[in-house]
Amino acid sequence: MSAVSHDPPQRRHSPLAAWRPRLRAGFTRFVMTTLAGLILAGIVHIVTILAIPTLSRHDAAHAYRVLGADGHAEPIPLPGNARGLPALREADPNVVTAICSYDLSAGPMRVVARTGTPPLGLTLHRQGGGVLYAITDRAAIRGTLEFLVMTEAQRDERIAADEEGETSRELRVVSDTEQGLIVARVLLRLPSDRADAEALATGVACGAANQG
Amino acid sequence: MRILDLAYILALGAGIGLGTAHWAVAGRPAIGRVEVGAWTAWPGSGSREVDPYMRAYLARGVHLPLGSGEGLELIAERDDAGQPLDGRCRYKLSGATPTARGWTIGITDGDGLPFRLPLARTSFTDSEIVRPEDGSLSIIAAATPEAGNWLPLPASGGFQIRLRLYDTPISSQTGETRVANLPRIARIDCR
Repeated sequence: MSAVSHDPPQRRHSPLAAWRPRLRAGFTRFVMTTLAGLILAGIVHIVTILAIPTLSRHDAAHAYRVLGADGHAEPIPLPGNARGLPALREADPNVVTAICSYDLSAGPMRVVARTGTPPLGLTLHRQGGGVLYAITDRAAIRGTLEFLVMTEAQRDERIAADEEGETSRELRVVSDTEQGLIVARVLLRLPSDRADAEALATGVACGAANQG
Repeated sequence: MRILDLAYILALGAGIGLGTAHWAVAGRPAIGRVEVGAWTAWPGSGSREVDPYMRAYLARGVHLPLGSGEGLELIAERDDAGQPLDGRCRYKLSGATPTARGWTIGITDGDGLPFRLPLARTSFTDSEIVRPEDGSLSIIAAATPEAGNWLPLPASGGFQIRLRLYDTPISSQTGETRVANLPRIARIDCR
């Protein structure tokens, strides 16, 4: 009788006792793999965030690459334009924006803007994000804003070509990417200023800087 | 079993990693945000050293942020009491604007687009508003017509107020700007 009463609990205990290390090992494995997955998730997160600007083909620098190819800034396209260009997001309706894209692979670019009554601002946006340079018409000399955009190598070349002992009067802006956008914004104080503002914004000249 | 473990790690890593990356840059990122009263700004977005999250957010659409030396954009989604802005309410914008060459104040939807309303008045510039004798700012934002400077609102739903300051010295020290230097947004009443 005693043997009968002792045997079943032993049988009930033995499978549990055998499963416990297995359960523990399984749990440890689950925790370790989850931890590894979370570490991998962190790496994937950081790499994705850093890669988006490089991989994106829908940013402003790509969308507006065709603007300003003829040496003058072109106004940003309106929604539903014939060229199929996307409209600028979060744009101020009281500002006239014109864009000149640049590609420094062929040499530095000279940007010349005439100033007028409406406030004018020029900014240099590099491909992949970041405003490299911003200047407003308050810095204009005799009604003209003028600067050169170049890569670091092109600037070194120009410094080497400068006359000995003479300081260059030109304003040189270094872009760390070969491509980017020059954005001219003119504030429309009153709706009647639109024609003036458009003339100012599209009057920004951006052509190859002649050497020397 | 090893393959199962590896598949689990890869699925977890790719799923959570890509998911959180998408979530972090789907809207304007929390990093680099400066809050002054009801207004929020991202002064770093127009600088050379833009942070990676803002850079990723800007690269996902056709954005051209104002340069740090060019101006500053401030966005309000709540009133001074912290209540979300709603088209069913009337709001009074009053007080001062920081020193700037010019500014514009406009009503937009959550994506920064103006609403298509019967009256095409989506914003005011500093030259367009009518000022009282003391030169202070007073704009009423409401869905129904108001006397004075009236910014029409959509009949219902959320909206944003965007204040853009051009050629302003505060863009480099936005964090130190006091609430009193920016327009106040007070809810008058609601329908």
